[in-house]
Amino acid sequence: MPPSDLPPAEITREGNQAVAALLDSADKYAKSNQLDKAGAALERALRIEPRNAGIWHDLAQIRLHQGQYQQAESLASKSNNLANGNQNLQSRNWKLISAARKASGNTRGAEEAEAQASQSR
Amino acid sequence: MAKGKPSRKPTTNPKAQSRRSGPNVLRSLSALFFSLLLGSLLLGVLGVGLYMVYLDAVIRTEFDQKRWAMPAKVYARPLELFETMSFSADDFAKELKLLHYRDVNCPDPPPAPPVSGNKRSFRRKPQRPPENCTPPAHGGASPDRAGTFARQGETFEIMTREFPFWDGTEPTRRVRLVFAGNILVEMSSLDGQENPGLLRLDPPEIAGIYPAHYEDRILLKSKDLPPILVDSLLAVEDRAFFEHSGINPKGIFRALVANLRAGRTVQGGSTLTQQLVKNLFLSNEKRLTRKINEMLMALLIDARYGKDDILEAYSNAIYLGQDGSRAIHGFGLASQFYFGEALEDLELHQIALLVGLIQGASFYDPRRHPDRAKERRSLVLDVMVEQNLISAEDAATAKALPLDVTEKMASGITAYPAFLDLVQRQLRRYYDAQDLVSEGLRVYTTLDPRVQAVAENTLANKLPALEKTQRRARPLQGAAVVTNTQTGEVLAMVGDREPKRVGYNRAFDAKRPAGSLVKPVVYLTALEDPERYTLMTLLKDSPLVYTSGGRRWTPANYDKRYHGLVTLRDALARSYNIPVVRVGLDMDVINVVKMFQRLGLERDLKPYPSLLLGALDASAFEVAQVYASIASGGFRIPLRAIREVTDATGKSLKHYTMEVEKVVEPGPIYLIINAMQQVVKAGTASAMKSKLSPDLNIAGKTGTTDDYRDSWFAGFSGNRLAVVWLGRDDNKPTGLSGSSGALPVWMDLMAGLNLEPLEPPLPAGVDEIRVNPRSGLRMSQGCRSGQLVPFLAGSGPRGSTSCGGSPPVVRRPRPQATPDASGDGDGMRDFFQQLME
Repeated sequence: MPPSDLPPAEITREGNQAVAALLDSADKYAKSNQLDKAGAALERALRIEPRNAGIWHDLAQIRLHQGQYQQAESLASKSNNLANGNQNLQSRNWKLISAARKASGNTRGAEEAEAQASQSR
Repeated sequence: MAKGKPSRKPTTNPKAQSRRSGPNVLRSLSALFFSLLLGSLLLGVLGVGLYMVYLDAVIRTEFDQKRWAMPAKVYARPLELFETMSFSADDFAKELKLLHYRDVNCPDPPPAPPVSGNKRSFRRKPQRPPENCTPPAHGGASPDRAGTFARQGETFEIMTREFPFWDGTEPTRRVRLVFAGNILVEMSSLDGQENPGLLRLDPPEIAGIYPAHYEDRILLKSKDLPPILVDSLLAVEDRAFFEHSGINPKGIFRALVANLRAGRTVQGGSTLTQQLVKNLFLSNEKRLTRKINEMLMALLIDARYGKDDILEAYSNAIYLGQDGSRAIHGFGLASQFYFGEALEDLELHQIALLVGLIQGASFYDPRRHPDRAKERRSLVLDVMVEQNLISAEDAATAKALPLDVTEKMASGITAYPAFLDLVQRQLRRYYDAQDLVSEGLRVYTTLDPRVQAVAENTLANKLPALEKTQRRARPLQGAAVVTNTQTGEVLAMVGDREPKRVGYNRAFDAKRPAGSLVKPVVYLTALEDPERYTLMTLLKDSPLVYTSGGRRWTPANYDKRYHGLVTLRDALARSYNIPVVRVGLDMDVINVVKMFQRLGLERDLKPYPSLLLGALDASAFEVAQVYASIASGGFRIPLRAIREVTDATGKSLKHYTMEVEKVVEPGPIYLIINAMQQVVKAGTASAMKSKLSPDLNIAGKTGTTDDYRDSWFAGFSGNRLAVVWLGRDDNKPTGLSGSSGALPVWMDLMAGLNLEPLEPPLPAGVDEIRVNPRSGLRMSQGCRSGQLVPFLAGSGPRGSTSCGGSPPVVRRPRPQATPDASGDGDGMRDFFQQLME
């Protein structure tokens, strides 16, 4: 189970008009804790905008809340890979990675990620 | 429906009849006679009552299950429409055709000709309406029902169908779509609701899965059965079907008399119900008990089920042919199997043939015994005239027509056998065969029919052309896989140059040496170690002898020449063999093996040096998996053909999640992609520019194996990855290299897709430095010549060169303790001296 102090998933909702509705419904699902459905909506959005780093980050958040830490970390890395120059998003990705590592017991890795997060800020 | 006339089994061709059944039937009919006597005696006994109860239970469980067993339905991806997407009006028209949307401005197909008296009159098929029906100048009809559209030029008005997706029901919408060239420029609402930002159409159905006991069928509902088929079926096989109660004593008696008179079997006495029982439950042995069981069960079925249900079950169960190990059951599949057409599209002469085949599908096999089949068809047509179902003229016309069976057997299951094969493999990870064939599952796949069509057509057109230029290539075969670079979804798969042919899926099952396709993986392994290798590291392309296990090995280049010092990037671009062997041995082959596994080749590979030159048997699909991990920036995403599996009501059962794993840091991946782009810009794939814009920055690699047995190309744009393999099934040389064979096919294929340029973001920790691309030295400040080449931070060249001047002899210091491949050669020489002897 994901740690209890995890902040709620907040869908970034940065996308073109086509995916806006999908991100809205992902947000709705995330807020009502229907994480499977939120994930499915985000995957659908990714098919349309596969290089939208924000959506990859959102999906990472969902996986984190589902307790899939390795997936969460990989998806956040993927988001980072695409978030060229978006320091704010990169920082959030590193924070997410830190939380995922901490939750899976990798304290040292979590600290490293935390350090990266403050660097990106 | 044929109303029962006084029933009489038709006089069928005695010769044929006796061939089918022979003395065995005679024996069983006399047995049947006795069985009737015996049966009536036993009827008094309570035991029979109990036995009937048992049989009834068998029927209820078995019959219901078998009759209603629902194959899994397989769907292609639903088309998602949004403004600015790349899609043309013609592409859209094709999608609508696939979905059987009706053009409201097209005349309806002419109504069925009036029935004169009791006879049907048949014509040849009406001319198909033109592909697009332009509405009249003063405004045509508007789509008024779900599943209809109107087109004018590049503008469509469409009313979509409602569809229950697993993540919610897509409501029906009326919208206007305007395309301009290759872009959807407008999507506006016509139904008073808000404009849909995103519109998801219903998904095209591409297949049904029904593989139980190698039986295959296309399930038909009784309402889908053409009336003439039903009429002729009853006329020929069981005229009293609607009167009798499962068995027909009169019929049996009449058959018996006729057979006794003729001295051999000329008629059978089985009702359709009995034939159904035989097809569903019983073995073919001719034994008394089996015959009794057959009759008892026929009685029970008739008592329990309506005639229409029985007819429907019969039409789906009757054995009509054999395709290797696959038994062809039911009219629906048989229609596909013999004619490549849907049952509803068949003409009189084809229906007559199908009905005739019931007597003996193998004896009358129209492909193997066309004369017998024609004779049999004439007989059925005669019966139809005799029964007033058709006119004598129609029968004469039909008799004169050829059999019209397709030469090559069309797949009854799907138009996309290779892709469906992949789907089944991925389904089997979670479902056993029984669930797939009986539970009515719905399988939502990733197939993009447009991409699939492009891939199929490219292979079909290009292979014959290649055979003309290289006679040795004949008969050339091929396979192709196309995926989405970012999501890992498989968009298309072709496993045969004749893509509808079922059987050998070369994209999956043809494991061939990958040849030079391994080189990017070898160099990627090296580029992870920036202390030792960069794109500009100079490698020695000079004679090399390597001894392993007492055997001397002297790799050579394809052009049998040596090129002196070359940069790592050029060595890849020109696919030189010796440098890659040096680098691979230096990195240790086991690390190359590990890199393959990290990138997604999930099996044991022996770390033999020959691996470095491509002695690695891989399928196009496996190559696609490895290259996909590079294309997605170092993230391995298992290639998926399925998105979702739901039950028959649409409830989600299994979501095939996109799984992502970071396997290589973005830096080295960025470098190897840069080198693979050089393959296209200035290497073995430089012919690419004739077909694909250099602005797409495509990355790829050619592959050729010994004696030109295999010709490969694997590469990707920003959004699409494709792998093409060409070779012969007998593994003989084709005379085609990767550049002369697979590359042109790959180019044509990709040119048919909507491509986005490959522009990987520059990862943190990678610097672009202007260097002399031949020497690898940094250009002096202010130089405009040279090229920007990416280096992992801190690994840039130390020495520099003046603009246009000859490079000075300043080099990076040699890394300690590792054999140096960077140019002065001593380290390399020492290393190989150690290896040799």
